[in-house]
Amino acid sequence: MTVAFSEKTKEKFKAILAKYPEKGAALLPTMWLAQKEFSVITPEVEEYVAKLLGVPLVRVHEVLTFYTMYAAKPLGKYHLQLCTNISCTLLGAEDILEHLKDKLQIGAGETTPDKKFTLSTVECLGYCGTAPVLQVNDDFHENLTTKKVDELLTKLK
Amino acid sequence: MPKPILSKNFGKKNAHSLGVYIQDGGYEAMKKALTEMKPEQIIQEVDKSGLKGRGGAGFPVGKKWSFIPKEAPKPKYLVINADEGEPGTYKDRPIMECDPHAVVEGAIITCFAVGIHWAGIYVRGEYVKSIERLEGAINEAYAKGYLGKNILGMGFDLDMVVHRGAGAYICGEETGLLESFEGKKGQPRMKPPFPAIVGLFQGPTVINNVESIAAIPHIVKNGGEWFNGLGAPGIGGGVKLFPVSGHVKKPGIYELPMGTPLREIIYKHAGGIRGDKKLKAVIPGGASAPVLKPEEIDVPMEYANLAKIGSMMGSGAVIVMDEDTDLVKTLRVLMCFYAHESCGKCTPCREGTGWMAKIIKRIEKGEGESADLDTIVSIANGIRGRTLCPLGDAAVGPALSFVTKFRQEFEDYIKVGAG
Amino acid sequence: MPTLTIDDQQVTVDQGTTILDAAKKLGISIPHFCYHPRLTKVDACRMCLVEVKDAPKLVTSCSNAVRDNMVVFTGTPKVEEARKSILEFILINHPLDCPICDKAGECKLQDYYFRHSRQPSRFKDYKVKKHKVVDLGATMVLDSERCVVCSRCVRFCKEVAGEENLGIFNRGDHSEIGTYPGKKIEHNYQGNLADICPVGALTAKDFRFKCRSWLLCKVDTICPGCSNGCNAVVHFTLRSFDGIKGQRVFRLTPRENNDVNKIWLCDVGRWGYSFIDSIDRLTTPALKKGEDFVKSDWDTVLRETASGLKTVVERYGPSAIGVIPSPHLTNEDLYALKCLFSCVLKVTNIDFKLPGLDKGEGDKLLLKADRHPNTRGAELLGLSGTGLSAEAMMEKVKTGEIKALYLVGSDPVKYIGEKAEEALSRAELLIFQGTNFNASCKLAHVILPGATFVEKEGTFTNYQGRLQRINKALEPLGEAQADWEIFTRLGKRLGSYPSYKYAEEVFKDMAREVAPFTGLSYQKIGPQGIKLTLPEGKS
Repeated sequence: MTVAFSEKTKEKFKAILAKYPEKGAALLPTMWLAQKEFSVITPEVEEYVAKLLGVPLVRVHEVLTFYTMYAAKPLGKYHLQLCTNISCTLLGAEDILEHLKDKLQIGAGETTPDKKFTLSTVECLGYCGTAPVLQVNDDFHENLTTKKVDELLTKLK
Repeated sequence: MPKPILSKNFGKKNAHSLGVYIQDGGYEAMKKALTEMKPEQIIQEVDKSGLKGRGGAGFPVGKKWSFIPKEAPKPKYLVINADEGEPGTYKDRPIMECDPHAVVEGAIITCFAVGIHWAGIYVRGEYVKSIERLEGAINEAYAKGYLGKNILGMGFDLDMVVHRGAGAYICGEETGLLESFEGKKGQPRMKPPFPAIVGLFQGPTVINNVESIAAIPHIVKNGGEWFNGLGAPGIGGGVKLFPVSGHVKKPGIYELPMGTPLREIIYKHAGGIRGDKKLKAVIPGGASAPVLKPEEIDVPMEYANLAKIGSMMGSGAVIVMDEDTDLVKTLRVLMCFYAHESCGKCTPCREGTGWMAKIIKRIEKGEGESADLDTIVSIANGIRGRTLCPLGDAAVGPALSFVTKFRQEFEDYIKVGAG
Repeated sequence: MPTLTIDDQQVTVDQGTTILDAAKKLGISIPHFCYHPRLTKVDACRMCLVEVKDAPKLVTSCSNAVRDNMVVFTGTPKVEEARKSILEFILINHPLDCPICDKAGECKLQDYYFRHSRQPSRFKDYKVKKHKVVDLGATMVLDSERCVVCSRCVRFCKEVAGEENLGIFNRGDHSEIGTYPGKKIEHNYQGNLADICPVGALTAKDFRFKCRSWLLCKVDTICPGCSNGCNAVVHFTLRSFDGIKGQRVFRLTPRENNDVNKIWLCDVGRWGYSFIDSIDRLTTPALKKGEDFVKSDWDTVLRETASGLKTVVERYGPSAIGVIPSPHLTNEDLYALKCLFSCVLKVTNIDFKLPGLDKGEGDKLLLKADRHPNTRGAELLGLSGTGLSAEAMMEKVKTGEIKALYLVGSDPVKYIGEKAEEALSRAELLIFQGTNFNASCKLAHVILPGATFVEKEGTFTNYQGRLQRINKALEPLGEAQADWEIFTRLGKRLGSYPSYKYAEEVFKDMAREVAPFTGLSYQKIGPQGIKLTLPEGKS
């Protein structure tokens, strides 16, 4: 299977390339584009990105495995990322985690069988003043309680 | 309390738009800098301001700029570090979300002062809104002619780019950030050469934190001495954002004079401990700063004073722990964090952080032995000062301070388990 | 030039020299994993930390340049403590499988642990599991658990071999070396990965589980794989092991020579040694009886050869003899050959240049298209162009004008094909002198077994005109003899010929007689070789 950006994404890619003094520097933003377009950075996507930028394939794979936010495996429709770092843990993030596991019947790093939710624990998200915090795709839910989690999950159905 | 400067737009509606920013006197400093000042004068003012790098290392900003060679075979670059990832730290995000033009204006002035024509801001991948707001501000600035060619007709060109990270704490480290900017893994580089000589794309590079850059317009507008005077008497260095989290009644970001006593931050500004419980421990400068005991909190929040008592200012993030806090669990959280974020390049950090995490996890599970505590201390000493970048030392900070300052609690935990 | 003090000894070095290199100059070796003199620096392993007076912390000696008046200590308790600690860190996730590790005995981790640590493990937790027995390419196997993540291999592929095909994936203590999943390393320099890997993470398939490294003897040699003349070391043993009986040579490793091969060896050369102990080695003199070869003895075959050649010369003159030597032979072999054929027998039809001899596939780094180590030497000795070309000789053999053909390690059938086969089968006397059986040898009437490059002394002249020595590591297999020795024995039977006992004696005569070698001796050539002053138009 070969993959390719849509025309619209190709335009975006061109705009990104124009911003950087060196082509290879566009690797991270190009992988973001790819993730948005293809959801998952599959080996085909890696090869496509490497070719687009003229960077060695092995470097694309290094980047994919080094950073935590690129998805090498498919994620659920909602990616629940719970911060379990210090400020959130001090304010009960672990209880929230247990509650989420219980509710979704999956462990951290797993996806529900209906592919709706993926649950992850993540490092500090920079919302320490309103801990605990849960990132759902690009939205942040602050000052979490188990009750708020229940309300949220109902809304996400 | 003095009028806020850095946080004046926090929570203010539409403050991120160019119109509101200009109405409030925005871009006046840029005009002053470009039309009335010479680059050296700007650097002098920043020098006088006593502004020290707000990212954590606390290096004087003016001095950092002065290291950049005037003539260089390669183009020079400004990189703004917005990879805010130090646990407990959440001060740069509201600047970018609510006051993105302050960052753009600060960047323009900085680049003009140092002779740079390309500025990049590296924002951690999770800060989606910050990225949107910055990109919006940059587009507005281009449209207005504040970015691009021949800014204000002064013959000065500047391009500005937002670069999104992808989840790696190590990219907050200057050279790790540069690698990441160049499309590689964020593994720190060997130093020397320092970024001021060989940085982004091999060119001389200034790397400043968001808060530092956002302070620049104010310094240029009102003078370096004015900013310096905002710091506590005898300490100076201006004002700083102190993000407070943990067991306090009013967690939040407090803009206070450099040198404000930690006690005042916790008890006066953040309202004291939740449920009026007793204070057990406090981390004064983000997760990497060695923990302080209640009897140590009269320390002025300032670089030298905190260093004197064996801790550090770091990002100024205050993390407060009340008397019920399980320190074994807390240290486990921190040790797992560093093990997870170690880039793996140098031996002591790669292996040592993982080892400490495993030991503390085992202790938490109730399978610890008294000798494990000595092993943690010895591992920490084996990492300290021997790593390629500061991440190793960052892990050592909490490891050593928790285990030595609260040794009894750890011993008790090993003997009888959690409280 | 800065002068500094290292461990109470003063040393003056060039500006920019690192502490590690300055110490090396004083004979002080500082342990290190990631540093390699031929690769960029990464400052990663932290094994080379030393104490510098007035420095707040220990500093990495591999990356920090010396300063004038610097005072360095490489063995203080603080430094030793740091080494111990770094070694402990490396070992916590190491599988400690030295007994079955091919690197054992020449492993830096093992050596440093013995030298600087020797402490029992304090590690009580579970080790990180990583990939083992990973097939990295045609010749390499990776054991990630043994890896110390020094990144030498990654840098080598990118910086030397010119292929960015190895990377380090994941991070922290899960960092792992690898190729992109499913891809293999394809370059011709893989063997160097096993050399530069400081531990047993990268091992050569060719060497795996064959021999303990400490049982191997080492002798300096020159790789005979092409005309580049890469400096090498041959690793061999005379013991016999289960399953590998008969194998004496186990590997070829590079030897540093900045002017020739830096410190690398290509795979074609490195793994070309197997002919030395292979099943097709010619180990006894033999004579063709009917369709078969029959084992003979030196006296008989030398007598047969001498009388055969003599008869041809007497009956038809020296032009009825053709000689085709191989540029695989040493200068000494070729000079002895020349003395015999050109001086004693007055033969002019001597040509080593079989068509297509230099048509292999070379690369930009070391490997040359000409896969012979001494083409230049053969040229300088005038072993071509004095009479008929090798190809023309085939024609004359066919027409019967050439009666006797003497092949020395050469294989006309391989290079010329059917035409040569036909010609050789028509020769009245075909003598094959060489190390291994080949298509031309098959047609010979007399077989004289020769010694391989590890079984004799001698010199090769590389493509640049650099004269380099090979050394005798092993006795020739079976009854084989060095080619110069065979010619000496033949020469005695055919006329007046010097009684050479050593290759060096041949060289001495050659140095007297042949211009580019004038005034040279084995001693002058030394271990790194010497650039010859070449006649004009030949450089």
